Amino acid sequence: MSDALSEDGSDIHHDDSQEDVMTPAELIARLEQAWLNEKFSPELLENRSEVVECVMEQLTHMEANLQRVKKGDAKAGFHRMEMDRIRFVLSSYLRSRLQKIEKYFPHVLEREKSLVEGQPSLLSPEEFAFAKEYYTNTETYLKAVALKRMPPNLQAVDMLKAVPEPCLDSFVFLRVKERQENVLIEPETDEQRDFVVDLEEGSQHLMRYRIVAPLVSSGAVQLI
Amino acid sequence: MDPSEVEFLAEKEFVKIIPNFSLDKIYLIGGDLGPFNPGLTADVPVWLALNLKQRQKCRILPPEWMDVEKLEEMREFERKEDAFTPAPSPYYMELTKLLLNHASDNIPKADEIRTLVKDIWDTRVAKLRLSADSFIRQQEAHAQLDNLTLMEINTIREFLLDSLNCMYKLRSNLQPGATKGQFADY
Repeated sequence: MSDALSEDGSDIHHDDSQEDVMTPAELIARLEQAWLNEKFSPELLENRSEVVECVMEQLTHMEANLQRVKKGDAKAGFHRMEMDRIRFVLSSYLRSRLQKIEKYFPHVLEREKSLVEGQPSLLSPEEFAFAKEYYTNTETYLKAVALKRMPPNLQAVDMLKAVPEPCLDSFVFLRVKERQENVLIEPETDEQRDFVVDLEEGSQHLMRYRIVAPLVSSGAVQLI
Repeated sequence: MDPSEVEFLAEKEFVKIIPNFSLDKIYLIGGDLGPFNPGLTADVPVWLALNLKQRQKCRILPPEWMDVEKLEEMREFERKEDAFTPAPSPYYMELTKLLLNHASDNIPKADEIRTLVKDIWDTRVAKLRLSADSFIRQQEAHAQLDNLTLMEINTIREFLLDSLNCMYKLRSNLQPGATKGQFADY
């Protein structure tokens, strides 16, 4: 008798728009990397909606399998535990993003607007709708509570100036996944010189986010 | 990052168990496990091992590094060196706590191991405090910390990163013409 749970989950491959086919294990690894990067980076990173959608697909598929199995099956417990873990990472990832969107909403919307054709978008469609609503609500609130009582020539507020920008010069811890040569580190004070470091694979470093920002998006380093 | 989240990551590490039940292969999303046969060792992630142990369905075998002689050597080495020596395992602190809390009956000389690991941790954290202090004092812009584990980094993360960011804000406000706009105040 075929066990519903033994349907190999790796039958589901993500292969609609990407060239390489990812196994579910790789998918979960990607999700965890995106989670950690988003948690530790000072600015909002590119959205990974393809990873999020595939993970949701895997979870719903597994949930459907579990419904079909009789209660008390030993394996069901293992699957549920794993699903709980994956759900935790996924919700934490989405929550990190929402927190950053709320914190930096005018800048995030500005970045999204100024994206060139062909560049991957920063926000998923749902996040974009959320950001716009948040903007409108904040504006309405400020007007209703304070601005309309101010003298007419002071009633405008420039959100881009009012809301602080993310500080890209914050320090971050990172682990190197792909060797990088000659990474330039600018000094803090005028007395120090510029110097270069080579980032060896597997090494861990502490430095300013601005220097490694492009490496984080390309996946060459992992924030820890 | 909360220490429980570091523990969450540590629970992905694999550990050997001896199950007392049999089950054929399971196909988890993250990979395949099993099959399980009573009396034969199997490799499973720590989160699963702990659950099975709590349901009294297996014995957990201590990882290789969790051995009194090895840990004593590492402790002496750590005390001798000024720099950080390689840790027993990238998650030694979390695994020690989890395995000794839930499976101390499967681990020989559990109390000694607990003390040794605590000693190693204390030495390393003391070194960490010193190097964080000198990093801030000398206004360094880069540090390499290969042998630090995530739990150690996490212990100092909030304090170190906050102080470095504060110092950066103070310094950059001293430079004439610093008009980068306000920085976020947490």
